[in-house]
Amino acid sequence: MRMRRLPCIGLVVLGLAGFAAMTAAQEEDLASVSAALAPRAEGLILARCSVCHSPDLIAQQRLPKDRWLATVDKMKHWGAEITDDEAELLVRYLFARYHPSAPDQLPPFDHELRNAEPLTQEPPDTGPLVGLAARGAGIFEHNCQACHGAGATGGVGPKLAKNPILKHDDLFWDTVLHGRGPMPAWGSVLSPQDIADVHAWLQTK
Amino acid sequence: MSEPASSSRRTLFKRMAIMIGGLAAWRQARPALAQQAVSPEAGPQTVRVMRPYDAETPVREFTSYLTPNHRFFVRSHFGPPAPESIAEDNWRLRVGGLIEHPLELTLKDLKAFEQVTIAAVVQCSGNGRAFHRPKVPGVQWERGAVGNAQWTGVRLRDLLAKAGVRLNGKHVQLQGADRPVVAAVPLFTRSIPLEKAVHPDTILAYEMNGRPLPLLHGAPLRVITPGWMADSCIKWLTDITVRADEAKGYYMQTAYRVPVTAIQPNSGLPGTSMVPVEAMVVKSLIASPAQGDSVGRGPVTVQGVAWSGDVAVSAVEISFDEGQTWEQARLVGEDEPYAWRQWQFVWKPAAAGAVTILCRATDATGQVQPEESPWNPSGFLWNGWDRVAVTVAL
Repeated sequence: MRMRRLPCIGLVVLGLAGFAAMTAAQEEDLASVSAALAPRAEGLILARCSVCHSPDLIAQQRLPKDRWLATVDKMKHWGAEITDDEAELLVRYLFARYHPSAPDQLPPFDHELRNAEPLTQEPPDTGPLVGLAARGAGIFEHNCQACHGAGATGGVGPKLAKNPILKHDDLFWDTVLHGRGPMPAWGSVLSPQDIADVHAWLQTK
Repeated sequence: MSEPASSSRRTLFKRMAIMIGGLAAWRQARPALAQQAVSPEAGPQTVRVMRPYDAETPVREFTSYLTPNHRFFVRSHFGPPAPESIAEDNWRLRVGGLIEHPLELTLKDLKAFEQVTIAAVVQCSGNGRAFHRPKVPGVQWERGAVGNAQWTGVRLRDLLAKAGVRLNGKHVQLQGADRPVVAAVPLFTRSIPLEKAVHPDTILAYEMNGRPLPLLHGAPLRVITPGWMADSCIKWLTDITVRADEAKGYYMQTAYRVPVTAIQPNSGLPGTSMVPVEAMVVKSLIASPAQGDSVGRGPVTVQGVAWSGDVAVSAVEISFDEGQTWEQARLVGEDEPYAWRQWQFVWKPAAAGAVTILCRATDATGQVQPEESPWNPSGFLWNGWDRVAVTVAL
């Protein structure tokens, strides 16, 4: 059902645009590439790009592939925590969804697509998690520090060093996994081990 | 787990709007305004980017000569600095580099210099970027990344005179307290040529429209370079450094540059000779009626604003036939050197149906607002004819 609808949207858009900068077949290809890559790419955008800027900045661009490549490359140089493979995937996805003839108002993702794919896969049922503070320091720096400040001393988000939430495991986990207020959910980005490590490190602060 | 994750993400931006709005932009405004900010399109500002917060003023606000602080467009690369870094007890303005006497000033020291007030348009270099074709990367500003305000502060030249600029000092580097989230991102550092820095109308402003400079507009001190685009108007200013050459770094050497001569779209990168964005170009906007409005038999007052760098606007013209014929609008209201000029045109619609109203301005040097601006890779300096589509119902 979903896969049949996407090409139709592409055709309508082309008709409205009134010029064939791209053939309907190419448009259809891009739509299916975008749909296929969305779960993983959206997870990356949430975890890596939104450290510095909200994803709305990305969604308003309509760029040819070379300019997406240059943009992702610039961000990688500026410290975006993405591997070469992830950068390549992002460029493919961003061009497929936000290419120059994409409509101003894109149809929203289908509900299932909004669920970003976990970036790290943990084997299930490995027994009770033991957080490693030393590892947690690095995970905090790359994922949490942007909002909670270096040393967890606070920033846009609250100070976490000596924060009472550290004594309430269930509340801490619930907040990290599902988000709270302006804080996004990290369940699709951080593995349970990552979260346990961050928790262990925060308790040393 | 994925269900709550998804719905949480959907509400994230709404919540951020409330938080950011509540914390910063509308601190001085009525509490009700913060709630309006929930919708990016319906609030006192049209939000382009939630974080760092970038938002433009709805053009309907430009029926007023001065743009209110809480509606004035907001743009920065990294968002405001930590409040403690700019608290009055901690904040200092340092003047260094190629000078005789380094200065370190508190806000009180600064206010001992002669106070001046200047009305000036401040406009984002990327205002109108969304209209460039082919499209270019960056915040997709439409018409409202501009505003006109009264700026009160001290002359930069007075500080430089006290510091004593050495003969080899040719550029003035400006640095604010804002910092990127990730240390690998270059600082937002700019410089202006000494001639502009010592121009008597270049000021360091601590008040905006008679109120202390709001946090989002650069509290406690920002640079105002009247007639120039806002990339020189550094906010949260802390460091002034006199140098022999232009400032180094991405935001001076790479960004905020335009080709010296017109280039073909999607060409000219790299290797084209590029120069910094400086003076504004002649431009006008239609503030009323608004896009999509329905108007009656009339007479309908078409009104808006027009400005051009540091020269006066000499004419504004209106067209109802896609630019085949133009009629003269009347320049009205205040006439100050760097501010915008308001204009009006009384229109008596002749027939029912869809009409597109166009406007274009001409300045005292004869520069005329073009139908479309020259394409450039970063989409700066858009000043194409403004257009508003309305429906006449007789």
